[in-house]
Amino acid sequence: MEFGWTEEQDALRARLKAFLAANLPDDWETTASLSPGSQAVTDFSKVFCPKLAEEGLLASHWPREHGGNGATAWDHFVIGEVLWEAGEPRGPQYYNVNWIGPTILAYGSEEQKALHLSRMLKGDVIWCQGFSEPSGGSDLGGIRTKAEKTEEDGNRYLVNGQKIWTSYARLAEFCFLVAKTGPARRDVSVFLLPMDRPGITVRPIASVVGDGDLHEVFFDDVEVFEHERLGAEGKGWEVIRYSLDYERVGIPRYALALRTLNRAVAELQDEDCFVPEAELAAATALTACEAARMLVYETVDKRMRGRPDTGSASMARYAVVCAERAVADFVLDWTPHLFTSNDAPMVATHHKRAIAAGLAAGAAEIQLNLVARDVLGLGV
Amino acid sequence: MDFTLSDDQQVLLTAFDGLLDNYRTPPHGIHGYVAWDAAFQNELDASGFAEIAAQEGYGSLEAAMLVEAAASCPVGVEAAASMLVGPLIGHTSGVLALAWQIGRPVRYLAQAQRLCIFDHDAVLVATPAPGDWEEMSGVSAYPMARLLRVPADACRLPDDLAEAVRRRAIIGLAAEAAGLVRGAHEHTVRYVKERQQFGQPLGHFQAIQHRLAEDAQIVQAARLMAFRAAHADCSRQAAIAALYVQDAMRKLIHDCHQFSGAMGLTLEFPLHLWTYRLKVLQGEAGGRAAQAHSVASATWPKQKSKPQLATVLERTI
Ligand SMILES: Cc1cc2nc3c(=O)[nH]c(=O)nc-3n(C[C@H](O)[C@H](O)[C@H](O)COP(=O)(O)OP(=O)(O)OC[C@H]3O[C@@H](n4cnc5c(N)ncnc54)[C@H](O)[C@@H]3O)c2cc1C
Repeated sequence: MEFGWTEEQDALRARLKAFLAANLPDDWETTASLSPGSQAVTDFSKVFCPKLAEEGLLASHWPREHGGNGATAWDHFVIGEVLWEAGEPRGPQYYNVNWIGPTILAYGSEEQKALHLSRMLKGDVIWCQGFSEPSGGSDLGGIRTKAEKTEEDGNRYLVNGQKIWTSYARLAEFCFLVAKTGPARRDVSVFLLPMDRPGITVRPIASVVGDGDLHEVFFDDVEVFEHERLGAEGKGWEVIRYSLDYERVGIPRYALALRTLNRAVAELQDEDCFVPEAELAAATALTACEAARMLVYETVDKRMRGRPDTGSASMARYAVVCAERAVADFVLDWTPHLFTSNDAPMVATHHKRAIAAGLAAGAAEIQLNLVARDVLGLGV
Repeated sequence: MDFTLSDDQQVLLTAFDGLLDNYRTPPHGIHGYVAWDAAFQNELDASGFAEIAAQEGYGSLEAAMLVEAAASCPVGVEAAASMLVGPLIGHTSGVLALAWQIGRPVRYLAQAQRLCIFDHDAVLVATPAPGDWEEMSGVSAYPMARLLRVPADACRLPDDLAEAVRRRAIIGLAAEAAGLVRGAHEHTVRYVKERQQFGQPLGHFQAIQHRLAEDAQIVQAARLMAFRAAHADCSRQAAIAALYVQDAMRKLIHDCHQFSGAMGLTLEFPLHLWTYRLKVLQGEAGGRAAQAHSVASATWPKQKSKPQLATVLERTI
């Protein structure tokens, strides 16, 4: 056990920061304050990610045979921290490298890997995640969207149903879709569905988290083929769990929270208002971020060693939710004008992203259920 | 970054666990508040574990690991100060006590061979003699005595050493508290699996599950943060770890007592051995305000302020 970064990891961080200084436009922070799924950020991601790929920094942690550099998950996390703190210039493409790519690496056919990983590595493909439905939010087993095999052609399914809260759907080329392929609750399969298939309708939902983040997606006799199914039919639950373990600790959210905290403290110091009560509140919020960082790192470490996660991703995710809230509350308590104005765009950006942390990728209370069951053995 | 124990660390902890095994069950028939065991203290001394931080191939991280492990036992032993601070001041055996203020209760003072006294930036090292202290009674599970005066042989440490002693004391505080929250939490989780009400174990109720799951996250974060501070041997990390656990322990202590019911308030039930030690550590070393000030000074050094209203304020009507 040791807690230091290697010289190479420090160098990677410095190199990426220099890369950002050279490649982010002057008005980037105003752009970033739109959501990752906005037209502007999505467009920018298609310029930024190819450059990042050229530097070997987009998916460096993937195996060499799939276009990565064979770097460790730690390197990917160093990159994630720097980019999330900077307002996530990868836009929605962070999905690809954080959890969709790794899930395809684990469960995909050779054909699926060749098609999708190479597109992700080019840095210009947008994905969305079709899990939640009106009848199945926290209770994903309650989804109703069906993929039914057609009589005349055993290779083809027809998808009917509706997804909701689907981030990035309007501009997405593919959907990581969960649908029922049998009568039982657990009879689900995952499909890698092109979003330009006839029968798909996407409607944006206006929200406080920003433009482009939430949508409804309707499926009306949409064709999807066997070779587009990820993993075996009816075995989708395992694929979903795997992907969620990656997603839940994919974003180093504490990095932007800490930047926001630093910004708010600087404001108070500037106005000579960093009184002892504020010091206590700020330092306590900082410890929440560091607690989240430690638990996230522990999950990354376990993942690297291929050990089962038994609740550690959920524990880390819950700590992340606490950290986001501690910092957001510090801003509202001590520098409310940074929330109500656009004086510091990244502070408002943090608030938009933080408010969703306890819901997206599974509600905080669901994480607690999983910790209670898998870590503490309660109620089993 | 590596969150897995090295082979050497694994061997060390396994051996230490063997020593702790004799002290893992609460002393039977205790009717006092304190559960400090001189035999435990002597065994720790004789075993050589107490000097781990000064041994080849080991350091303050391994010392913090042993402190955390020892603190998770219901039977108390002074380990944090002697293992982490001791090596810096040539204290090689027996109890080392830490006094944060003259006139106030000090843990393990009556048992101590040596004493560090913190007074603002100064740190004094002394040999406490009878008359320097008086024993106290109270509800805390630590043996406590009041420091009445500065012992005759006290001498001041040079500034750099004083800073290192303070840092190690805070790391020890964080590591000890991390072990204590773990002990209290593990005991409570076991209890709610056994105790039945409404026809099922208490642990089946979601209201209880969620709070214990939140507390599990506190236990694990406190432990990792204390170890990180020990590994870096860094004052800022030490203050972060101590502030985190001094803050979070308040909720955890409350939860553990709630879920243990009235049984948890009895002396025969060991919960108080962890929680009443934690209650002492909650305000130790200046408490959250002092740790927060250290974190803030190290993280956000004072910026020059701009007096916005200065020109107007000089005008009078
Ligand atoms: C910004 C944002 C982006 C999102 N993006 C996507 C996306 O791209 N794709 C996608 O599929 N989904 C997405 N989601 C949806 C997200 O996964 C769901 O919101 C989440 O799973 C909760 O489902 P729900 O909103 O239906 O809440 P519900 O399931 O109705 O639950 C409401 C609340 O009830 C409580 N609760 C529910 N069940 C339990 C229980 N068993 N025990 C205790 N408490 C419980 C929780 O507090 C929960 O928040 C996104 C959500 C947000 C906010």
